[in-house]
Amino acid sequence: MSQFLPILFATLIAGTPLVYAALGELITERAGVLNMGVEGMMVTGAVVAFAVALTTGNLWLGVLAAMVAAGILSLLFSVLAITFRANQVAVGLAMTIFGTSLGSYLGKPFVGMALVLDASQAAGGFAQLPLVGPLFSAIHPLVWLSWGLFAAVWFFLSRTRAGLALRAVGESPTSAHAIGYPVVRIRYLATLFGGAMAGVAGAYMSTVYASLWTEGLIAGRGWIAVALVVFATWRPERCFAGAYLFGGATMAQLFAQSAGIGVPSELMSALPYLATIVVLVLISRDAALMRLSVPASLGKPFDPQG
Amino acid sequence: MSIRLEARPQPSRTMIWLSPLLAIGLTCCVAMVIFAVAGLNPLSALATFIFTPVTDLYGLGELLIKAAPLVLIAIGLSIGFRAGVWNVGGEGQLIVGVIFGGWLALNYGPDGGPWVLPAMVVGGAIGGALWAAIPALLRTQFNANEILTSLMLNYVAQLWLGYLIFGPWRDPAGFNFPQSEPLAPAALFPTLIEGTRANASILLALVAVGLGWALMSRSFVGFQLKITGLSHGAARYAGFSPNRAVWIGLVAGGLAAGIAGVGEIAGPLGQIFPTASPGYGYAAIIVAFLGRLNPIGILFSGLLMSLLYLSGDVAQMSLGLPSSITGLFQGTLLFFLLTADVLIHYRLRSSTVATGAIAGSAK
Amino acid sequence: MLQLNRRNFLKSAAATALLAGTGLPTLAQGEKLKVGVIHMGAISDTGWEYFQAQAWRALEAEFPDQVEVTVLENIAQIQDCERLFRQLSTQGHQLIFGTTFSQYASLKKLAPTLPNSHFECCAGIDAGDNLGVFEGKHHEGTYLTGIAAGRMTKSHVLGWVGAFPVPQVIYSLNAFLLGARSVNPDVVLKVVWANAWVDPAKEKDAVAALVAQGADVISGSPNTPVQGLAAEEKGVWSIGSTGDFSAYVKTKQLVSFELDWSAAHIEAAKGVLAGTWEPTNRWRGLGEGGFVKMTTSSPELPADVAAEMATAEAAIIAGTLNPFAGPIKDQAGVEKVAAGAVLPDEEIKGMTWLVEGVQGTLPGA
Repeated sequence: MSQFLPILFATLIAGTPLVYAALGELITERAGVLNMGVEGMMVTGAVVAFAVALTTGNLWLGVLAAMVAAGILSLLFSVLAITFRANQVAVGLAMTIFGTSLGSYLGKPFVGMALVLDASQAAGGFAQLPLVGPLFSAIHPLVWLSWGLFAAVWFFLSRTRAGLALRAVGESPTSAHAIGYPVVRIRYLATLFGGAMAGVAGAYMSTVYASLWTEGLIAGRGWIAVALVVFATWRPERCFAGAYLFGGATMAQLFAQSAGIGVPSELMSALPYLATIVVLVLISRDAALMRLSVPASLGKPFDPQG
Repeated sequence: MSIRLEARPQPSRTMIWLSPLLAIGLTCCVAMVIFAVAGLNPLSALATFIFTPVTDLYGLGELLIKAAPLVLIAIGLSIGFRAGVWNVGGEGQLIVGVIFGGWLALNYGPDGGPWVLPAMVVGGAIGGALWAAIPALLRTQFNANEILTSLMLNYVAQLWLGYLIFGPWRDPAGFNFPQSEPLAPAALFPTLIEGTRANASILLALVAVGLGWALMSRSFVGFQLKITGLSHGAARYAGFSPNRAVWIGLVAGGLAAGIAGVGEIAGPLGQIFPTASPGYGYAAIIVAFLGRLNPIGILFSGLLMSLLYLSGDVAQMSLGLPSSITGLFQGTLLFFLLTADVLIHYRLRSSTVATGAIAGSAK
Repeated sequence: MLQLNRRNFLKSAAATALLAGTGLPTLAQGEKLKVGVIHMGAISDTGWEYFQAQAWRALEAEFPDQVEVTVLENIAQIQDCERLFRQLSTQGHQLIFGTTFSQYASLKKLAPTLPNSHFECCAGIDAGDNLGVFEGKHHEGTYLTGIAAGRMTKSHVLGWVGAFPVPQVIYSLNAFLLGARSVNPDVVLKVVWANAWVDPAKEKDAVAALVAQGADVISGSPNTPVQGLAAEEKGVWSIGSTGDFSAYVKTKQLVSFELDWSAAHIEAAKGVLAGTWEPTNRWRGLGEGGFVKMTTSSPELPADVAAEMATAEAAIIAGTLNPFAGPIKDQAGVEKVAAGAVLPDEEIKGMTWLVEGVQGTLPGA
């Protein structure tokens, strides 16, 4: 049981990038846009955040820069996929390849350098609060903010008019257009938001989780985030839980090894990916559930001209 | 007066072939900008970048030997893409091809015999096909998205190969370094051109081009696949099974990737390492799109992509640029291609007419 | 060969004259020695590639007017490095270095076919035709750091982040525990395999897992400061094997040692310049001309522990102390080295078993 707290903390840390990326992608997909470029946006975000944080010494500037960089990529995606109505899957794949190679090109001067940021600097004024203050030092502010994000997304989708508009656009853009919702603008905003969140996820990986930039830092987490949205049946609370489930799976194999459980380490390393497939299958096979949950217009281009 | 996009009544035939050229041209422009920023003469740097790798026989051999797996895998993937089946698992399928072919090579190679090499190729094909069959099964039986499943399997395949190389397949004479023993001569592809590393896998790639063309342009199955890709509804109406399209689409890619994997270990590597694939599974996606999902187009785009790889090394050696420039150019190329493709379905129009009236009348 | 040179000449006659292909087979008087180096990864300011780079930088410093180095980085694929080694040779580089064992297979194939160049491979397995190899006796370094760890641990649990289960890592971690046990017989070593040379997220998680199991001194094969930083965050000691990370790990790096390959590079260059180069297999550790150099130790390290380490170091250099001197038992309790005997070099280099007291299994076993 002495293991419990460390495992809990480790799971929190491992799950946070997935929370950001998956919730961002959730908003994008609820508006009917399938953004497969999350992985590339996370990579670019990670590199930009690291570079900026290293040169300015300020973590938050790095996060902001990552949001902007990933936002620009998602803007490019939106122009191609929403305005020009190109095949969303193809553009998303292209974004992944482009974002990943851009990241590795930009990141070359920074490979192997370590980022040492004072944890208390990140916590800032929060650490001064009575009673809860020390918690802010133990758990990084970006983790707290991810919880806030979850609450905000949940509230937005289920309790606000804007959220309703977004969902309407995702279910039936032609009807939404007829009612007068600005479909294209909503889709752009949803995609930009998703991209920005992917940027934050990447920034977290390079500045907090690993404090380092190398190729292969993201290692498919962007893809896991996309998968998470599917088997969360597009519901924020399931996304949130799923993110920690997978964070835990990545941690499990290392803790199991150190506890002396003798399963081949490669098998344990494969667990998160295998688990993703299994859960994906379990959710997808229920055709009725899928039909009810999938935003009906997901992946289909919308033509305002009728 | 503003410029806007207007849908074409039907896709432009000229643009279909013009857009890859446009994309290449735009990428060259970006390249020259990058060279200029790095303080080099843009034109001569570009010329060095493009021509240096292939000015001697060895370089030509390298070009071919790198293009072969790209073309092979891209042909397989394009069959799927045409049918609307997104196989992103080429990497993993290549690795499983390495595993199956490698098993044969390690167990039967030393005994020799002319049957070893063909058996490896077949074995690799089966391995890749089986690995692709998993996402196909999951899609047809459980409706699981094949992009995600095939992608996850890439990582699993990599770990599987790692397990084998660090464990049962470790070279007993290799001081326990993670590599297999060198493949026996019977398990290696014969060299085609003296003085180069070009080997018979190039022939396999050419055969794939021929087969791919025959399948897609001349066979009924190919026709069915194309229709399925264009419209599921129309396909079903015509009695074409979408499930069959999924199977054929994925397995074709897996077959090709598996053979390409065998080509790597029986060719330039000559041994099995945990890092058997240099990302060909992903690069082949670009090759497939750049080649317009057409076998002849893929042949040319495969050569171009191969040149890009070689040029990246030239960039490092002679121009002082990081070799990651290759990946950047590949990504840029794909991106410009998708942008230029827009012009296939739309044309640029300067408009002075109020769009509201048109929209109103179209409703 | 001649045909290739003619093509090279035609190439340089064209506008893109960036190839220096003179391809002279022997070093004329006053001509610079061209050295080629291929790095698999990126050169940063810590880790394996950094020390490889330091070696050729030392070469440039030692022979400022006689040596010209061409460096390629990020050549991650083995298929590519074979082509590039060949290109370096045809472009007139007389001395070519490989920097990691995964390039060894290619060099072994190429070296006999390219007599105009001489080849050296760091961490290669064995010398061959036209190919020399050199590797460090990492275990001498880890043994000494083990002494420090054994003295400073309070929980009697040490941790090791294992990159890959290659012999170099295995004998390093074995020696680490043996060194610790030489001063503290109750110590155990927990090993977690990250299955990567560089994977910052995994390395950080591995450190967390080890610390959760009670380890209060962490070692491994770090190529970046991640492990040290993660350990520092948790308040435990880390050891910089393969380099000094104290620029980043400000308070909690206990001791460190680094790999200094400059002796190998300089000796090889001297040999080629004098025309006396021969393929050799050098396996050296501490001491003059060696490849392992103890570097920093934390100011918190007690003076007597530092003295203990220094004495042991001197003894290893003098040959009176061998980290793998018996009696040594493996994890199953089987005696591998008898009392009074010493494990032969070949068996160290090919080590696949873990010593008693190491808790963890070898992957793929």
